[in-house]
Amino acid sequence: MKRNSIKLVGQSGSGLLSTGEILANALKNIGFYINTDREFPSLIKGGHSSFQVDFSTEPIRSSTSYADILIGMDEHGLKNYVDKTRKGGIVIHGFERHEKVMKLKKSVEERELKVAYLPAREIAESFGGNVLMTNMILLGLLWKILDFPLEPLEEEVKKRFASKPALLEIDLKCLHKAYESEDTPDLKIEVNKEKPETILINGNYAIGIGGIQAGVRTFYAYPMSPASSILSYLAATYHESGMLVKQAEDEITAVQMTMGAMYAGSRAFTATSGGGFDLMTESVSAAGIMECPLVVVIAQRPGPGTGLPTWTCQGDLNLAIHAGHGEYGKAVLACSDPYSAYEQIQHALNIAEKYQVPVILLSEKEIAESMQTVPRFKEDQIPIERGLTQGKDLEELKSTDRYAITDSGVSKRWIPGSTKTYFYSNSDEHWEDGVLTEEADKAGQMYEKRLKKMETMLSEFPDPIVYGEEDADISFVGWGSSKNVMLDVIEYLKSEGVKVNYLHYDYLWPLKTEKFVEFFDKNKRVCLIEGNHGGQLGQLLEDKTNKLFASKLLKFDGRAFFFDEVLEFIKANHDK
Amino acid sequence: MTNNTIETLQKNKDLYGSYESKEVITWCSGCGNYGIQNALKRAFTLENLDQKDVVLCYDIGCHGNGSDKIDAFTIHGLHGRVISLAAGVATANPKLNVIAHGGDGGTLSEGVNHLIHAIRSNYKVLFLHHNNSNYALTTGQPSSTTPLGQPMNSAPDGVYIDPLNPLDLVLSLNPGFVARTFSGDINHMTEMFRKGLNHNGFAFVEILQVCPTYSRTLTKEWYTERVRDLAENSDYDPTNLEQAKKVASEIEKEIGIGLIYHNPERKEFTDLLPNRQGVETAPVEEVKRMNIQNLLKEFE
Ligand SMILES: Cc1ncc(C[n+]2csc(CCOP(=O)(O)OP(=O)(O)O)c2C)c(N)n1
Repeated sequence: MKRNSIKLVGQSGSGLLSTGEILANALKNIGFYINTDREFPSLIKGGHSSFQVDFSTEPIRSSTSYADILIGMDEHGLKNYVDKTRKGGIVIHGFERHEKVMKLKKSVEERELKVAYLPAREIAESFGGNVLMTNMILLGLLWKILDFPLEPLEEEVKKRFASKPALLEIDLKCLHKAYESEDTPDLKIEVNKEKPETILINGNYAIGIGGIQAGVRTFYAYPMSPASSILSYLAATYHESGMLVKQAEDEITAVQMTMGAMYAGSRAFTATSGGGFDLMTESVSAAGIMECPLVVVIAQRPGPGTGLPTWTCQGDLNLAIHAGHGEYGKAVLACSDPYSAYEQIQHALNIAEKYQVPVILLSEKEIAESMQTVPRFKEDQIPIERGLTQGKDLEELKSTDRYAITDSGVSKRWIPGSTKTYFYSNSDEHWEDGVLTEEADKAGQMYEKRLKKMETMLSEFPDPIVYGEEDADISFVGWGSSKNVMLDVIEYLKSEGVKVNYLHYDYLWPLKTEKFVEFFDKNKRVCLIEGNHGGQLGQLLEDKTNKLFASKLLKFDGRAFFFDEVLEFIKANHDK
Repeated sequence: MTNNTIETLQKNKDLYGSYESKEVITWCSGCGNYGIQNALKRAFTLENLDQKDVVLCYDIGCHGNGSDKIDAFTIHGLHGRVISLAAGVATANPKLNVIAHGGDGGTLSEGVNHLIHAIRSNYKVLFLHHNNSNYALTTGQPSSTTPLGQPMNSAPDGVYIDPLNPLDLVLSLNPGFVARTFSGDINHMTEMFRKGLNHNGFAFVEILQVCPTYSRTLTKEWYTERVRDLAENSDYDPTNLEQAKKVASEIEKEIGIGLIYHNPERKEFTDLLPNRQGVETAPVEEVKRMNIQNLLKEFE
């Protein structure tokens, strides 16, 4: 698989994001598979950002730590990122006083970089444009170097700036002018003959669409990066969906309203990041004892404290699993890419309603805010399972059915307004109709009933999935976005004659280990890949099975695993 | 209570009876909660509310120990969070009658932000504020409404921070419905609860509640001497906010009870939603698979 990567660097708020999105969409429309990655600080203007687009004629899901082409949108970006360009790569920029940037000169020589330069500001001004339009000039120049037809790019620019026709005209002039450049560096990139049927979307929007598909009618949340765009997406689409979307006054309110709505019979969920989830944990525990279905999405960012608000990690697995006081039935799921985000939110809602437990769906900034090409979402694949008593069966109900002690731990559930048979939904310990009890025998039985759901879920949840080769030279176990880089690595190394496989967990709690033990016994060198310091999933697996990982690839600096970084790890570890 | 209402109660005694519970009540003798519970059942009966259309939400506190003492759908959640929980129920199904109970500890300390924003958002919830001027369930610590100087558990030398007046706070927030009533007057409570049930929006009812165990100075007699029904004053105009603020805060000699403020102009939360104007169904009735083809176009 031939990978290509373009990195745009510049100031936050200088049009970098929209330029990146135009670029990604235009490449997609030519027929490429795309993975994007944004790095930006937690502020609105100033500070440094990058937008990287990795693309290929085959599915691509990860980023490289270097770029083939660097587009420096300002001096600072050029200086700071020039060494992230692959040796022999290309630097595109429009900075007039580049002769004075010694660092750039030095790196270009040392790394044998080719430079493409246009006096971007001068050109933009000659058309009556401003500094923001230099972005169009750099895009036009890039397109010339890539030797792609201009139309798909032009279409994207038109789409994006349709509401500002006067500016659009200048933008297009800039684009054309730059595209007419001569003597640009040569580059030959293979193009797909047929355009694959994909969509380019990020994980947060995918969760929103999954929720809409699954009948979510009420959504309550408090903004927190990187979960905020679930709230803004559901708000932006509420005329279409008719969904009731409420920005709550804090996370406690958001989770309480979500519980109230689920109790009343709506489908609802909430979304936050680690810090907001900390505030919700008392409610998660209450949902446990009240057996109230609840779904909370955690889009992870590195903590502790405010941590790195705009960066990524897999640091909150233990938080999710151990959230809330007391012991009770709870499920933890993860998603790995936009398609899985679309599916997992639907499964999370089903599990919450079927087993009447809180469900935590883990996402990561890397998934939440990075666009990727994925197959167009299929509808009607996952049935809506509510586990509600309805219709004629309502007439037969007794109040004590609501929390009746059962083998599976799951009792009947129905909603207020649907029948006269009431029950008490009680966060105090209670007996079968919900009436408060402190009797030892009843309290013990009820405590155990709720925990029986863990066994029930364990036996009914899907196993982790193995990707890659049999008889592998090196194997990995992981969850979340690690799957993306592993799939890219497996495919790439196959062509190099190195066999790699990977065991991926989408369902993390209750934790299934049979398949893991089998995987361990079949493979000679099993390593862990995880985006946290403790190797949290690894630790749980080791404790439960006594199988010890040969080595652990851990990362906790706010960045996702880069493709080349995993390759290096394999090189250093596979024939030990 | 008028003859008329007594007649209605008698006529609907089966409905009243349906709310009666066989559970053993665990409040102290003389506790204000008995009367509140009674008045509420009366109000349901007089308003002819079917048991299945009522959801009672309780905070954690002494009042919350009544959460399984009225036969209806009840939900007894966490300390300080009842307003949000009730708002979740009410927004998901505005066709239900949602009643929430909270003490002065839960409402004015632990979860005061929820109160502020529920008034602002104007969810359709009848909120009964059980103000017994202390944290009773945790055995008598001071709350933010305990009088200055009163020795309490955790304030052995007397409370040394000024109390706050819940209605001062509530009336500063452009509320839709504010009433004050007294746990020693079941008839008056019944009337206030009925009015609150008929309000389309957030109805705040402060109940001056006696707590014979921990709030020893604010006895039934103390309150009975001071409360004056605003209905006796024909000049009182509950739509006049300035007048309402005066009555709410001037409580040295007399404490005005009754409908203190009413603003029928304020729209209920669901009616404010830009995307749900004219929608007749409740969200709970709309749960089904939705087509996403249109939404996907943006990402093609
Ligand atoms: C998070 C949390 N903090 C503290 C408590 C302990 N607690 C239970 S009731 C209560 C205060 C009760 O006072 P109030 O709300 O005025 O109700 P009352 O008992 O007086 O009716 C407290 C602090 C709790 N249950 N949960």
